[in-house]
Amino acid sequence: MTEEDAMFDPTLKKKKKKKKTAFDIDAALAEGSADTNEHVNNSISNNMVDDSKDEDPDDTNVDIDLDFSKKKKKKKKPFNMDELENVLPDGKDKDDSALDNITNQDDSIMDDNFDLDFSKTKKKKKKKKDLDELIAEADDKQEDKENVEDSTVSWTGSDRDYTYEELLNRVFEIMRDKNPDMVAGKKQKFVMRPPQVVKIGTKKTSFANFTEICKTLHRQPKHLLDFLLAELGTSGSVDGNSQLIIKGRFQQKQIENVLRRYIKEYVTCHTCRSPDTILQKDTRLFFLQCETCGSRCSVTSIKSGFQAVTAKRAAIRAKTS
Amino acid sequence: MSIQNLQTFDPFADANKGADDDVQDGLVHIRIQQRNGRKTLTTVQGLSSDYDLKKIVRACKKEFACNGTVIEHPEYGEVLQLQGDQRENICQWLTKAGLAKPDQLKVHGF
Repeated sequence: MTEEDAMFDPTLKKKKKKKKTAFDIDAALAEGSADTNEHVNNSISNNMVDDSKDEDPDDTNVDIDLDFSKKKKKKKKPFNMDELENVLPDGKDKDDSALDNITNQDDSIMDDNFDLDFSKTKKKKKKKKDLDELIAEADDKQEDKENVEDSTVSWTGSDRDYTYEELLNRVFEIMRDKNPDMVAGKKQKFVMRPPQVVKIGTKKTSFANFTEICKTLHRQPKHLLDFLLAELGTSGSVDGNSQLIIKGRFQQKQIENVLRRYIKEYVTCHTCRSPDTILQKDTRLFFLQCETCGSRCSVTSIKSGFQAVTAKRAAIRAKTS
Repeated sequence: MSIQNLQTFDPFADANKGADDDVQDGLVHIRIQQRNGRKTLTTVQGLSSDYDLKKIVRACKKEFACNGTVIEHPEYGEVLQLQGDQRENICQWLTKAGLAKPDQLKVHGF
């Protein structure tokens, strides 16, 4: 037994952090009386608890709660009769409370099993203990029940194997905590004002908030203008009060469609779909540099392509001659 | 569940796919132009010169019940020109006839 304890104690001391240093002797004593099965259980549970401490920011709260419970126990000490014997439940109950704190109340079935296990282990002990200890234990149990509420992860304290679902949930929770804006599954919305398209007479269309949209997209107005005119197959220009006048009749829905295609090709990153990009011209080619993922790729050049003659041929002839 | 790493992967799958005798290479640009009033014009640019465009336009005219013509352009080659908004029709027809694949078609305009 003693050898085992000697083997076992240092690890426990290491894993139980500074907070528990005052109790080390007590803990050692407690372990001395406890049987080896419990050792293994405790060590495993301690490992798990400590792991969770390292990784989960939430568990710090649990630690604090633990501290409170310990303080209460400290105060209790002098009231109890035998120090040596009282040490036993103290040492045990630290672990108990730690475990109970972390087990989730949501997972009621697991909790029940868990409690059952502990009652079994305690029964073994009870044979050695006095009535006072029993009372102390009852008190501690009540305290534990108070502390149960703080838990978040259902499997951290227990010995059972965690399921894939739980691990997956944990990963996603951590991801959401660490970076709230980049959450997988929830797409980042690219919010934009709709284009204001107004008819001017019968043959022209005005795109009123053209420059505003250029600003929100962080693109040169000329580039967007080139694209719009090439796609629509018309001519047009930006007038004095920064609105775009397009020849031809267009509805807002149609302009929206073209804008959507522009954003898809020239604004959003082709790799990560982030709109945080810069369009650079480099040796006659346009390159899209992403600010989020750092990817850089060339984009198709704007070409109007073949344009059929739609004006009256007589008028063209009259112009040229 | 099978082990991912042990699955055979053919690195030349893409090369084989591209090697089949496909006459059409490059994109087919389908554009629309507004004319006076509600009238529109559809142009199809980039069809392979191996195709007989005159026969295509004849079939299209009959299929879509519209007029059309083939225009010779110094830069863009032969261009199909159809009356009215035939963008949907020409896309379906080209894929159905097997002249171009859906990913080779690029529709411009609103």
